[in-house]
Amino acid sequence: MKERGERRGSSSKGEGRGFRRRGLGRRKVCRFCADKTMQIDYKDTRSLGSFLSERGKIMPSRITGNCARHQRSLTVAIKRARTVALLPYATSYP
Amino acid sequence: MADRRYETLVLIHPEQGEQGAKELTNRLRTLIEEQKGTIGQIQEWGLRDLAFLVAKQRRAFYVLFEYRATPAALAEVERNLRLTDAVLRFVSVRQAENAPPTPDRTARRPEPEEPDMSLEGADMDLGEEMS
Repeated sequence: MKERGERRGSSSKGEGRGFRRRGLGRRKVCRFCADKTMQIDYKDTRSLGSFLSERGKIMPSRITGNCARHQRSLTVAIKRARTVALLPYATSYP
Repeated sequence: MADRRYETLVLIHPEQGEQGAKELTNRLRTLIEEQKGTIGQIQEWGLRDLAFLVAKQRRAFYVLFEYRATPAALAEVERNLRLTDAVLRFVSVRQAENAPPTPDRTARRPEPEEPDMSLEGADMDLGEEMS
């Protein structure tokens, strides 16, 4: 935890006005809250894909900064997309 | 019974061919109408690559139906989909009444992209289980 904090801190060093919480670095804002026009849709593989790791795993909200509500609807959308093979459950190569 | 707004995405076996996929689409359209549903729109996404093999197939025809129907009608449609061998998979979702219809551009997106580079700028400290 501590080491991550330091890493984040250094990565956001360049941004002058970034809000700092005890050296945790810039606070992330939920993308869906920031842009209300952004809809979470299971058919939209392009935008859902950005919330997957290279392995095809769902990114945790602590990394993406999504709020709990949008993270929930996002995971549902990703899982729907997986049932119809729009998104992978896993990729064989990293 | 109150009718509801649904959408169903159907994956049709590639061996059906363009023609067979069209016929099946029409069959499903009449089925929904027989069940007193009203079709909003039907989008044919064409032959798309699957994210993984389904029934040993790499690709499938995707067809999206948007319609209004009663829950009982949906159950009947789903029962028929399950019985149809040419249907690889499907997913039905209830849509919000005020949701805009799916824009066509989702459909016309050329080739399904590989899951592309995730989250720009996010620290990639998600442990990859690799040794």
